[in-house]
Amino acid sequence: MKIALFSDIHANLPALEAFFKDVETRNTDAIYCLGDLVGYNTWPNEVIDEIRRRGIPTIAGNYDWGIGRSSDDCGCAYKTDDEKAMGKVSISYTNEIVKDAQRAYLRTLPAHIRLEYQLNHDKRNVLFVHGSPRKVNEYLFEDRDEKSMLRIMEQADADIMCFGHTHQPYHRVLNSGTDGNDHFRHAINIGSVGKPKDKDSRGGYVILTINPDSTVTDKDSIKVEFIRFEYDVEKAAKAVENSPLPNAYADMLRNG
Amino acid sequence: MKIALFSDIHANLPAFEAMLQDMDSQKPDAVYCLGDLVGYHIWPNEVIAEICKRGIATLKGNHDEKVESIITTLESLNEAGKKYAYHLINQANRDYLKALPAYIRLEYKLNNNSLNLVFAHGSTRSIDEYILVDTEEKYVLDLLEEADADLLFVGHSHKPYHRILQDAKGEFKHVINLGSVGKPKDGDIRGCYVILTINNDSSTLVKESIKVEFRRFEYDVELSAKAIENSPLPKEFADMLRGAY
Repeated sequence: MKIALFSDIHANLPALEAFFKDVETRNTDAIYCLGDLVGYNTWPNEVIDEIRRRGIPTIAGNYDWGIGRSSDDCGCAYKTDDEKAMGKVSISYTNEIVKDAQRAYLRTLPAHIRLEYQLNHDKRNVLFVHGSPRKVNEYLFEDRDEKSMLRIMEQADADIMCFGHTHQPYHRVLNSGTDGNDHFRHAINIGSVGKPKDKDSRGGYVILTINPDSTVTDKDSIKVEFIRFEYDVEKAAKAVENSPLPNAYADMLRNG
Repeated sequence: MKIALFSDIHANLPAFEAMLQDMDSQKPDAVYCLGDLVGYHIWPNEVIAEICKRGIATLKGNHDEKVESIITTLESLNEAGKKYAYHLINQANRDYLKALPAYIRLEYKLNNNSLNLVFAHGSTRSIDEYILVDTEEKYVLDLLEEADADLLFVGHSHKPYHRILQDAKGEFKHVINLGSVGKPKDGDIRGCYVILTINNDSSTLVKESIKVEFRRFEYDVELSAKAIENSPLPKEFADMLRGAY
């Protein structure tokens, strides 16, 4: 079955609309959203409404967690004072414009969704988290130490773990088998729909295909496709510039 | 947030369409299907197509699993009997059914409490185990603990109920049977599904903090029953729809 996974829309409605247009052409069987619907752009309410209208199972991202609780902390790891100052503007602006019903929706999103497969007498768990299974705002980058990544997945009992948060897509296959018995685990970062950070300004998402004869001992029994789609970046960037948000966020969209 | 949950459509397209119409009017925030899309009726491919078109998160029921052992030939498609309901299913849809997950779990963290919702077709122990309104309380509590479930949603029996149990620690656990969209067996011929509401303060500590609404909807039972009678399926299946047994 083909599952579409997307996340990190960050209030970018033109990107979300382009994503829906693209995914509708791909004959997927199910669709999940891995959080961070809001922040950094001007359409948080509209993005929430579109996802709710479609009844898409969605988990909370760190930004949703913060806005859902009217907090001034989005749990983002800003490094410089400049970044911190801009981040403050973004979260207070988002808190100001998000309406009550939309905030209540963010507040009651689940933290994780887990699909438990029993194919060919083989148990296999697919886990959706925003950052990591331990913390909504933990960054799992591609160069993370293999042992640490495996430990996180083993502790969470996840064979296939899909997440977002870093806005940098990748698929890593790790083997946690012992005594010559393979047990392949997959760590999949699904990228970002509305705020890519991998120097490609197009939005990104993933289609995960699980074969009916899929097993943990076969490395290639799942297929992970990284889809990129064009959208009206200029429209999204201009919206930032015409709002109280820092103009730097517009350039980040233009440059990916 | 409002979550719509339904199951046991059993290829009854008129019932499924009526349910979708009612469900859309309720504007749920997320939708899940707890299996048994097929069996007993003539529209399995149409039901699967609509579920895929809407991208509804779905798990596998025992009838969906049964399709894996069905071998279809030109002759078998013309044989009268209950297997006709499975022979009808095209290869792409058989692949879809085979690759469905057995369970779906939502892990909430509200107010620093964890709240785990578990969706299963029969039970968390078996795809075709019946968890009924009068299944022994200790058995159910053990099963919930083993599955780390605070709220367990099941289908399979086609008899809807919402049961609240108190565990040894005094926490309230819920078992909800969704009833059936396309083959009710509780004497009410209308289809049934559930709308669950999760609030900020939903927890296992407060008995009434989980809202479960059973929605019944009318559909053209006669049209559906006639379609069975005009097919190679056993005529009895049509009467079961008319009598909800």
